[in-house]
Amino acid sequence: MKYKPWLVISTIIAFIFSPTPSFSSSIQFSASVDKSHITTEESIELSIKISGIRNPPKPELPALPDFKVRSIGTHSSTQIINSEMNVSTVHKYLLIPKNKGNFTIDSISILLSGTIYKSEQISVIVNNSDTKNINPEREVYTETIISKKDPYINEQIVYTFKLFRKTEARNLKLSMPHDENFFQKENLGKAKRYSKVIGGIAYDVDEISVALFPKKVGKSTIPPSMMELDLIYRSQFNRQRDPFARFFNDPFFSSVTKKNHKILSTKPIALNIHPLPKEGKPNGFKNLVGQFDMIATIGKDHLDAGDTTTLTVTVSGIGNVTDTTFTNLKLDNQFKIYPDQPTFTKTIHGNQVGGEKVFKFALIPFSTGPQTIPSITLNYFDPDKKKYKKISTNPINIEVKPAIDNEHLNLVQPKATSSRQSISSVSVLARDILPIHTQTQDFESILLVKNKHIFFIIGIIAPVVIYLLAAGYIRYNHQMNDDISYSRRQVAHSNAMKKLNLLSTLNPGTKDFVKELSQIIREYIGDKLNLQGTAFTSKEVEEKLNKNTFAHEKTTAVKKLLEKCESMQYAPVTTNRDLGLIEETADLLMQLEKNL
Amino acid sequence: MKKLRLIGTIITTYLILTNPVDAEIKDVSAKITLANELYHEKNYQDAADIYTGLINQGETNGYLYYNLGNAHIRMGNLSTSIIYYLRAKKLLPRNANLQANLRYVISQTQDQLPLPKKAFITNILFWIESINLIEHYIILFLSNIIFWLICIGSLYYRKPPWHSMKKIALTILLLVFFSTVVKYHLLSTQKIGVILDEVVAVKSDRNNQNITLFELHEGAIVTVNEEDKDWVNISVDTDKVGWIAKKSIG
Repeated sequence: MKYKPWLVISTIIAFIFSPTPSFSSSIQFSASVDKSHITTEESIELSIKISGIRNPPKPELPALPDFKVRSIGTHSSTQIINSEMNVSTVHKYLLIPKNKGNFTIDSISILLSGTIYKSEQISVIVNNSDTKNINPEREVYTETIISKKDPYINEQIVYTFKLFRKTEARNLKLSMPHDENFFQKENLGKAKRYSKVIGGIAYDVDEISVALFPKKVGKSTIPPSMMELDLIYRSQFNRQRDPFARFFNDPFFSSVTKKNHKILSTKPIALNIHPLPKEGKPNGFKNLVGQFDMIATIGKDHLDAGDTTTLTVTVSGIGNVTDTTFTNLKLDNQFKIYPDQPTFTKTIHGNQVGGEKVFKFALIPFSTGPQTIPSITLNYFDPDKKKYKKISTNPINIEVKPAIDNEHLNLVQPKATSSRQSISSVSVLARDILPIHTQTQDFESILLVKNKHIFFIIGIIAPVVIYLLAAGYIRYNHQMNDDISYSRRQVAHSNAMKKLNLLSTLNPGTKDFVKELSQIIREYIGDKLNLQGTAFTSKEVEEKLNKNTFAHEKTTAVKKLLEKCESMQYAPVTTNRDLGLIEETADLLMQLEKNL
Repeated sequence: MKKLRLIGTIITTYLILTNPVDAEIKDVSAKITLANELYHEKNYQDAADIYTGLINQGETNGYLYYNLGNAHIRMGNLSTSIIYYLRAKKLLPRNANLQANLRYVISQTQDQLPLPKKAFITNILFWIESINLIEHYIILFLSNIIFWLICIGSLYYRKPPWHSMKKIALTILLLVFFSTVVKYHLLSTQKIGVILDEVVAVKSDRNNQNITLFELHEGAIVTVNEEDKDWVNISVDTDKVGWIAKKSIG
């Protein structure tokens, strides 16, 4: 039997990775938790152990709507004791309670080797963390603060989360959910860390704030924020008797760390969002809420007709500055206006978000003489003073001189400085489209588009056809040059016919005529069958033709014709009569050509 | 004698075939000259009518679209000019004037949306954006002709340099073929639309009753993902997707 390595390897792989029971032990399935009484600040570790089977599938957990479930890993072990092999796999999950109460973890089922295994039900009691009797010396706690519980729509409120801890904490994970349909969130920078003494105890405080802008009127709730973390406890152990203690007298070597996973959640915060007051609401109010300032500046206040100048309007302050817009500047009668894309720079003022929004407008005056850009106004609502406010810029006066040359169009005009400087200090005065294309020869539609079929034939098919024809011709030429038998075969008939034409000029029936005729037939057969010389008898010709599976009657005809020639050649008397030998030979050669 | 007859036949056929084309070109040139003059006389509407008439006749020329875009921007039709500039860009991908005007007209729109992002493959086939489809075809035809001529040479001379040349020519031919296929695919699948209405509310689904996700303004360039009766699914960047009425987009 042939050795097939692939079969052996695939059998081994299938054996290793298939969920097969081990040889010695029976399958066991169990589920357990590390704690059955916890508070809402703690979590449960659920362990599902499967033993007696290699590579079992993952168990299917029952619905656990009261817990957040997170997989924290799987580990497998194999033990061989007294030649008995025990394999086991443990799947671990972290269950984080969402609410207090008595809960039951339903039996967990798994299908192993065609049998469904089920674990027992587990009861868990989740109590509230003891908030009433807060231990003043607690290790860790959280706090949330909202700057205002009854804000106006679009008013900025600051939501702050603080973590107080006495011990080292790692793997901090904070979730600060908010209703995205109700609030627009803006970050207020990175978390701050500082120390604070509360009741004589020093705490490390981690603080993070976000700005929330209410988008809708009504009652809303900021859901609880949740902080997950591992508290690290280090305990020193005695190395007094250890001779190496001197060398390893370092906290890194002389401490044992213990980790405690904690989940801390805050209380939800109820908010009541008020609409902006209708009283005193100005026309064209753009929902700006906060405290704002506005200034306007002009690029050039003296310019020529056709020149452009830039009006810059800067709105800055605390609040939703980014919502500022200027759609109607009321300058349409005086200037052609080209607005630029506004820019916004976010800034943090204390613990509030604000910024600066800059609007730029390129203005080209319609007429010459003194012009005034009227004051630009902006309305906003001040939530602190609970009333609408109006801010305005000062009017700006500019002088427009008549143009020197009205016909001349300068899109880009360099400053009249030295040539080197002019390269780098070109100021764009106005923008316009580039002119139309007038070169008529460029408008002739591309021939390819109109005659795409012809071009397709020329470009794709014709080269292939030319190649095939050329290849046939080249191959023929090469074969004619390289293969003598082939070239003799190819030219045999034409040579024979030429010679027959020449022979027709001789006197028929003479011995020379018959000899030459016989020679032509022999040469033809010699060329066709690639035979050396022509000195072969009619019988030899018959044999050669029979070898090439030539038709018997035609072989006989050739033989008879050659014999006839021989008999006339060697006969004592010459007839000098045309016996139609040339025609007979030509017909015979034609028939041979078709077959050879 | 036979050769002379053959040459005579070819010349006669050429003259018969080319004369109508010449006449047609002269007619097109005259119309374009007239339209250009009307444009310079600030008669933009008449100029645009002539350009449009030529396009409707089947004249496929990038400069025609470019001039028509210019005429429309002079008439204040932002969205229409963007549409024609984008059509011109397909035929004149390297034209600096066209790119400058397209940038300018985009800067005049309220949304100032840039052209949709290029497909990833164009980072590899970096030349694909600079060469139009017709130029791709021409390069493909030339590469094909060169490849087969080299094949004939290789067959005739039977020398190693000819075999190397054949391999190089085949590589170039395959690359050009792939590039042409990609260009054709991109042009036929990547649909760009321009917002025609002053303000268009982009809905979450194909009904006016649905939520307005965001608003687009005249001239905004969007990617058209799908068409469904009177509605079109469009996207701006990768995260803003929604439905608008078909009549609002061109």
